[in-house]
Amino acid sequence: MEKIMVVNGSPRAPKSNSKRYAALFSKYSKNGTSYFNISKTNHLALCGEMEAFSHLLFVFPLYADGIPVTLLHFLKTLEQNPPKNKPTVSVLINCGFLESRQNDVAVDMMRLFCKENGYPFGSVLKIGSGEAILDTPFRVLVARKIRKLAKGIEKKEYQVLKVSMPLSRKMFLRASTVYWTNYGKKNNVTKEQMETMQIEGPGEDEKKTKPF
Amino acid sequence: MGCFGCWTKTPGKCVIRDDAVNVYPKIAKSDGVMHVSRIKYGGYDTVMKTMLERAIPVQQAFIRILHGETHHVQREVLPKKAVIIAYGEISDEERDVFQRLVARNARNMNFEQYRVIFTSESQLDETVQREVAKWKK
Ligand SMILES: Cc1cc2nc3c(=O)[nH]c(=O)nc-3n(C[C@H](O)[C@H](O)[C@H](O)COP(=O)(O)O)c2cc1C
Repeated sequence: MEKIMVVNGSPRAPKSNSKRYAALFSKYSKNGTSYFNISKTNHLALCGEMEAFSHLLFVFPLYADGIPVTLLHFLKTLEQNPPKNKPTVSVLINCGFLESRQNDVAVDMMRLFCKENGYPFGSVLKIGSGEAILDTPFRVLVARKIRKLAKGIEKKEYQVLKVSMPLSRKMFLRASTVYWTNYGKKNNVTKEQMETMQIEGPGEDEKKTKPF
Repeated sequence: MGCFGCWTKTPGKCVIRDDAVNVYPKIAKSDGVMHVSRIKYGGYDTVMKTMLERAIPVQQAFIRILHGETHHVQREVLPKKAVIIAYGEISDEERDVFQRLVARNARNMNFEQYRVIFTSESQLDETVQREVAKWKK
């Protein structure tokens, strides 16, 4: 079976959720995988590596409603330095918000890249609540979908899959508030401090009126 | 990047102290913004995209429900009228993706109204000047 090239497009790849999703994929893929992070300096090396693979899985987060600029930079390099044999491209995307559909635009950007550059398009898995889901009991739901993604790619039966925490929006809001409050606590920052409305600290006017 | 320091360590401030820290407070304080960018794969090209990704200190980590979806609570960010000028050779499909991108951005970047204008690189200056002139009125 042909090995799959897995490329992590997260700006924080070495410590990313994408890395954990990619690891699950590798665990379930019978094809076997080779895993790569995108770094500032390895773009051309990755383009070269690609020659050896017939399937490529991009794993990355949603950033400002689109693909992260780390991945965009890489795609532009790849456009200039394409492999002779273009692999089929699949996408495993995760976003912080609950709704997996918030990933749709970024997935369509990947489709556009593939179409413009002649890469066959494979499968998609869209994960909602992806910042936290792996550390909750809902992890099993993600694992199941990633296994399905891997199976489909193995059989070349391409599909669009999605998964998120099975919570109402209100419950997600409450759960995420606990998650972020604890995140702050680890840095000795209180919920109230995190809720500051100020951007870059007090405004000029407030600075002037502040007593010494 | 992606460290969430601006939400959980130094709330409202990016820990990378470069030019971005001068830009996002200005965006937050403005009631009008104009984005001018080349389009790549139906999205903003790298320069504008980098800027947008560096602007998350203007939001809190905490979630609210907006238009039936989960989004972040904004800090002191004025509601904005946005004019988005997208240039390059843009296919119909790319236009569609970009329109949907801006519709999503509107929810996360506090646009109360927005307009997307597509133009070619050769018409860009003219288009920008025309739009800026409208604001001056
Ligand atoms: C700069 C930045 C922008 C983000 N933009 C979005 C967004 O628009 N929508 C969303 O749902 N999540 C957004 N997120 C959240 C990430 O998608 C989420 O935390 C994800 O789990 C990160 O994956 P990673 O660890 O693989 O990078 C953003 C995070 C950062 C740091």
